[in-house]
Amino acid sequence: MPDWKAEVKARLAGLSLSPARELEIIEELSQHLQDRYEHELTRGATEEEAQRESLEELNAPELLGRELKQVERRVPQNPVVMGTDSATSIMRDIAQDLRYGLRMLWKNPGFTIVAVLALALGIGANTAIFSVVNTVLLQPLPYKNPGQLVMLWENATHLGFPKDTPSPANFLDWRAQNTVFTGMAAMAQKNFNLTGVGEPERLDGRLVSANMFDVLGVQPRLGRGFLPQEDTPGTHVVILSHGLWQRRFGSDPRIIGQAVNLNGESYSVVGVMPPGINVPSRDKWKDQLWVPIAFSSEEAQSRGNHYLEVIARMKPGITLKQAQAEMETIAARLAQQYPNTNLRIGTVVSPLHEEVVGDIRPALLVLLGAVGFVLLIACANVANLLLARAAVRQKEIALRLALGASRSRLTRQFLTESVLLATLGAAVGLIFAVAGLRILKTFIPDTISQADSIGIDARVLVFTALVALITGLIFGLAPAAQASNFNLNETLNEGGRGAAEGSKGARLRGLLVIAEVAVSFVLLIGAGLLINSFIHLRNLDPGFRADHLLTAKIDLSEVKYPDQEHRNPFLDEVLRRVRALPGVQSAAIAGNLPLTYNGDSMYIAIEGIPDPPTDQRMDAIYRAIGPGYFSTMGIPLVRGRDFTDQDTTETSYTVVVSEKLAQHFWPGQDPIGKRLKPGDTTSDMPWREVIGVVKDVRQNDFLAAPKMQMYMSYRQLKSLAPNALVVRTGVEPVSLATALRNAVWAVDKDQPVSNIDTMEHIVAAAVARQRFSTMLLGVFATLALMLAAVGIYGVMSYSVAQRTREIGIRMALGARRGDVLKMTVKQSLKLVVVGVAIGLVAAFVLTRVMASLLFGVSATDPLTFVSIPLVLMSVAMLASYIPALRATNVDPMIALRAQ
Amino acid sequence: MASPGLDRELKKGSAELLILSLVEDRPRHGYDIGQLIELRSRGALRFNVASLYPLLYRLEKRGWIRGRWVEKAGQRRRRYYRLTPAGKKVLASQRDGWLEFVEAIGRITGIQYA
Repeated sequence: MPDWKAEVKARLAGLSLSPARELEIIEELSQHLQDRYEHELTRGATEEEAQRESLEELNAPELLGRELKQVERRVPQNPVVMGTDSATSIMRDIAQDLRYGLRMLWKNPGFTIVAVLALALGIGANTAIFSVVNTVLLQPLPYKNPGQLVMLWENATHLGFPKDTPSPANFLDWRAQNTVFTGMAAMAQKNFNLTGVGEPERLDGRLVSANMFDVLGVQPRLGRGFLPQEDTPGTHVVILSHGLWQRRFGSDPRIIGQAVNLNGESYSVVGVMPPGINVPSRDKWKDQLWVPIAFSSEEAQSRGNHYLEVIARMKPGITLKQAQAEMETIAARLAQQYPNTNLRIGTVVSPLHEEVVGDIRPALLVLLGAVGFVLLIACANVANLLLARAAVRQKEIALRLALGASRSRLTRQFLTESVLLATLGAAVGLIFAVAGLRILKTFIPDTISQADSIGIDARVLVFTALVALITGLIFGLAPAAQASNFNLNETLNEGGRGAAEGSKGARLRGLLVIAEVAVSFVLLIGAGLLINSFIHLRNLDPGFRADHLLTAKIDLSEVKYPDQEHRNPFLDEVLRRVRALPGVQSAAIAGNLPLTYNGDSMYIAIEGIPDPPTDQRMDAIYRAIGPGYFSTMGIPLVRGRDFTDQDTTETSYTVVVSEKLAQHFWPGQDPIGKRLKPGDTTSDMPWREVIGVVKDVRQNDFLAAPKMQMYMSYRQLKSLAPNALVVRTGVEPVSLATALRNAVWAVDKDQPVSNIDTMEHIVAAAVARQRFSTMLLGVFATLALMLAAVGIYGVMSYSVAQRTREIGIRMALGARRGDVLKMTVKQSLKLVVVGVAIGLVAAFVLTRVMASLLFGVSATDPLTFVSIPLVLMSVAMLASYIPALRATNVDPMIALRAQ
Repeated sequence: MASPGLDRELKKGSAELLILSLVEDRPRHGYDIGQLIELRSRGALRFNVASLYPLLYRLEKRGWIRGRWVEKAGQRRRRYYRLTPAGKKVLASQRDGWLEFVEAIGRITGIQYA
């Protein structure tokens, strides 16, 4: 076939046209000549004649040139300036590349929009999750030199408590005997009823050693910290939190020295802390106020009562190892001195940062990995798009190479375009991220500290920019590499198809599809496992009936209600009023409802059985409740009876135990009538007779198996006061909240009623963290699946379009549509199967990382590993079926005529 | 056939009108336009590459027609030209002008059209 292009080109020689324009003209005119040539052939001319006729069109030798000269704009020649600085010429090149890139993107709006959207989704998701990681994991704690701060725990692993809360005597000895810490302080939860300033309110507070704030390195904003001499019983001083000061005291600067009424006693305000300050406790309460811990002489000698949290600051130069070693020595010494309580108890020194973020880190890292994967899939999609478009630019590339552009320059230009695309994607992604974060924050469980301060800050922006750059380089590599591997002659001579459609291009795109499928597979498996795990969680039996249960906390002030004589009439009257409310089916008094309190356990002694050695004693959780508690809560009574009002301190002491406790101590026997008591056989607590057995309840930790439990009636407890009310309602529980509060206030208008909540909500909050991770991962996996489906669809569409002629021929030769469909779908199925196989291997490896997040489901759960591949393959098949269907609808005649 | 000189003059003056009117109802590519002109004039008028395309490009530069590369399934890509709104106006005025011109000549020379 004659070489039209060369002929046309020759006639354009004298004009200095821009290369792109010249190529356009060459292409258009060559087509015209080719049409003419074919036309002559069909009219019966020989090839020679036809060629001559066609070339005639071009003859009028200078006419074309002359005419075009008048029309076309000439490109001014850039003179080569000798001795220019290479930097500025690179800058100029880059500027030119940028302009060119922008123009290319503008002229292909469809492509640009799709690519930018895909990138925006990937980059935006990454930015959002990184913001969370940035604030929660990477942010330094608001204390001075937080790296020096550690928490100390008693190591009672053999009893099931590897990090047990220390007892006061142990703490005091640790503090006195160590040489590695500049200061050590203890803290304990305490609730305070604030009265005398309007509505009574129950506040979360904390008892702290006088030097707590020194250890933490925070200064009060107003007033002063505690003095060492204030850490004695009887001193009533208090430091307020900034929030409390603002909220209840109107930010009055004259608060220092004023008296406030807490738990019925007068406390003097000595200081106010700056905003955002909190002591780093495991429970993550937001303390409203702090009071010196002030151990009484009894408490200071208690070695068996474990309830403190201890913080210490390491001396400069001391390492964690050294601190650990010394504390272990001290612990060994104490174990020798006090074998009754400290046998085999060691000490654990743990960096503060670990304590604060340790339990959230695995989840966040998994999420970060997940969004990384989503971004990879988006990159693969954009790379595919770029590869497909590269076919169109073959001629441009060819001409520029022919004109002397270096391959490196070309590669650089492609990379510039890709980075430009990625930057656009990042800009839009930032918008997605800001919006997404706002939505995300409403779902973040508030057990994650610093949740409020999650936002886009400088570090996050730098991260986004880096991600954009790397992303652009990643997906730009594919077409850029293609450009530099270009074969010039091939392209100029051939009918216009180049490497993009050759086997190499197709293989590259195939690889990308496999990668997308594999990555989405891993994500889907992860999401599937989490969902499975969460379903298991929700189906856990808490041991009680959580529906239609209204709860409230009523902390009785020790001053106003110091003993049973004062407490019981109040509680009786409150109960009477509450039971009389319309809509109430039953009500009972309780102490520390399930899933709200993580403490109060003690080892017990069994009558007739000698005490086991101290390191083998099992703890039981104890609770103070009132008659009717079990029936109100829906806890089945398995044997015996419930408490009644007749069980008082005048009658014999009773106890109700859980099934687990009964089976542990009296296996195979009837526990009714047996006797036990808290402490060991020598303690002066009264023996209690077992009158009933109830089913186990998940008291402290929803996820763990229930521990042994025992219940005592508050009417038979001198010092342990109940603090809650449970009400089973026939109507919506929340609708009775106000009535409940009024019933209490009718009896004592200064009694704070707090934490009014439904039991269902409390149970849901216990799994809030898992729900959150599951939801997020589910969203990302779905996103990945959609992106992968789009990617597969795109690749299949393109490859099918390329094979239209082949398909047309096949169908014209009699192939049925079904066969053609099968053929094309099989082709893509091959890719998908390989992708799934690779994904399977990767998933096996990667899900071990998630194992700590799963509950009741193994990291290689068969159900998930079977169902997910099915889901993925069906989606992939659909994505390849549709373009195949379209291809078979093409009229074979048109397909045949295609070139 | 008219004399070559007249031929060229007539062609020049009416060439634009021809092209504009041919892309009025649907977009066409260069070869198509050339063929149509030859067909409909029954061979009286012929454009070759050297004269057709510069004209097309000139019209495009003026904004009276717009060319776009179109790739249909299974074909090479071709440049299709279509009439722009500005071009529509020009076509209408040129048509009127041409009709007036022909009438005027007719009145002067006595040539009548059936």
